[in-house]
Amino acid sequence: MRGWQKIVLAVLVVYGVLCAAAYDVMRQTPGRFGQIMEHVPDIAFLVLPFKPLWFHARAGTLHVGDAAPEFTLPTQDNKSTVELASFRGSRPVVLVFGSYT
Amino acid sequence: MVYIEEAHPIDAWQDDDNIKAKIFLHSTRTQKERCDMAGTCLVKLGIEYPAIVDTIANSTERAYTAWPDRLYVIDRDGRVAYKSKPGPFGFHTEDVARTLQRLLPDAGSPPAPAVTRAEPAPDTAGQSVARN
Repeated sequence: MRGWQKIVLAVLVVYGVLCAAAYDVMRQTPGRFGQIMEHVPDIAFLVLPFKPLWFHARAGTLHVGDAAPEFTLPTQDNKSTVELASFRGSRPVVLVFGSYT
Repeated sequence: MVYIEEAHPIDAWQDDDNIKAKIFLHSTRTQKERCDMAGTCLVKLGIEYPAIVDTIANSTERAYTAWPDRLYVIDRDGRVAYKSKPGPFGFHTEDVARTLQRLLPDAGSPPAPAVTRAEPAPDTAGQSVARN
């Protein structure tokens, strides 16, 4: 193999390893992911295919048509609870997951 | 709104936009802390639709792979009618509007989406804002 071919191969291998490492980090719990990403330089976002890796890593196991996982959670003011099953038969429910930060 | 664990707490991965806006918040460690944080979020972002708060064990977030933000529509039979791609990139409220149109064909044209992103930059976690 010629010199330049070895260099190209080495770059591809390193790139592949970095992508695999990024994917593995994305599969960690959010807390762990955040702690690791705190130390990752911004250039990683330019070099690595962050968005497609993210979409795959965070796809989850639910599909359209599956039964929505049940939950019973307190309201923000902690005065009552809401059960997802209570909406069944009456109306659709929009779930907006998020946080302040 | 299902309020889940923080996207960019200062004890993990702080975010430049939060720094500029002087939002320096720790991860929540108790149910009460998270409920209080949810309350702050509702007030600061003017969110007027109901909010419930995930357990500190993050049981709902884990079931829905929802962190940092995500949209779902559950139909009347309790089945997933729409699941957005993972946020922040996949947070598209117009898809929710289209799904509701399909599920509620007699409801007429929906109003403009009630939830829009405050920060569209792909490398920041978005914030849900309700606009009337």
